[in-house]
Amino acid sequence: MRNMIKLEAQPDEIYDIELEHSLLEANEKLARQNRALLDEHGTTAIDFMGAIGSGKTTLITKLVEKLKDLCGLAVFNGDATTSEDADQIEKLGVPVVQIATINGCHLDANLVGKGLRKIDISKAKFIFIENIGNLICPAEFPLGSKARVVVVSVTEGPWMVRKHPHMFLGAQIVVINKIDLADAMGVSVEALINDVHTLKPDITVIPTSCKTGEGTDRIAETLLAI
Amino acid sequence: MHELSIASGLVEKLLEFFAHNPERTILEVRLEIGELSHIDSEQLRFCYESIAKETPLEGSILTIARVPAIVSCQHCTYRGRPDYWDEALASAPVMTMRCPHCGKAVEADQGHDCAIKSVRLLETHTAPSV
Repeated sequence: MRNMIKLEAQPDEIYDIELEHSLLEANEKLARQNRALLDEHGTTAIDFMGAIGSGKTTLITKLVEKLKDLCGLAVFNGDATTSEDADQIEKLGVPVVQIATINGCHLDANLVGKGLRKIDISKAKFIFIENIGNLICPAEFPLGSKARVVVVSVTEGPWMVRKHPHMFLGAQIVVINKIDLADAMGVSVEALINDVHTLKPDITVIPTSCKTGEGTDRIAETLLAI
Repeated sequence: MHELSIASGLVEKLLEFFAHNPERTILEVRLEIGELSHIDSEQLRFCYESIAKETPLEGSILTIARVPAIVSCQHCTYRGRPDYWDEALASAPVMTMRCPHCGKAVEADQGHDCAIKSVRLLETHTAPSV
């Protein structure tokens, strides 16, 4: 005789079952796989996030110009519809993958993983990933990058950091761009830096002007030291 | 609108479960959303209800519980609730990664996830006659 007592739900009976299942785990697992693949080749991926017009593409252009003779590079450009950004980077002579998300508001680890299979990873010391211009959604989806950079600009106004705090909590570097326009905008760069450090004391903040080039050497040095 | 991606994953998982349990009706789905995740409950609910239409999940209730963030400090050994930047905005306190004790950087131990915890079912199969 078996000792097991088996209880079965009766018709019309209501009951609960535990169903532990993370809804973010699928992306996080793919992000870990991307990271493992990158580590295997000694490649560092950097994820650039920020609003449309904050200067992500211009910054990546400057970094490619500075670093392309020093080490292998590749760039992934996420864009909902156009290939403007990828076209601009392609002119610099580095491998570019255009990732069109169509209706998607963020890149995810699956799309980046597909991109990684399109290039020769072993030839790239750095892969710069330009995320979709969006200040909320990308924060939820790690891609497998070693560092996340948030690009903000003084033209986004004085309260930009306070209005989008989540974006900064998971980032390691913040670039405050367009400082050449700070006076015209009446925005204090110091106050923006203080806001970022209030949210996350150990984050690296680099004020820049991608137009004049000010601060871009420091960003390149910071990335090379990662 | 990343809630749409999250809701799609949720519905996909539940329909997969339902396919294995066709004699049960899902009445309620209970989720936990961490304070550190950037998921809006109302948008998620709206997306869920929209996607669930004309599937076996139509009419089920989505119950969402918030999980508070827990942080720990490597500098002063503090572990607990994070520090909030109350004066940042008029409408909502803003969570920071600053230690409430020593002011240095903290790490988050809890509050990142968004997970299905349990489902409430109605058994609809007919018991075999004895």
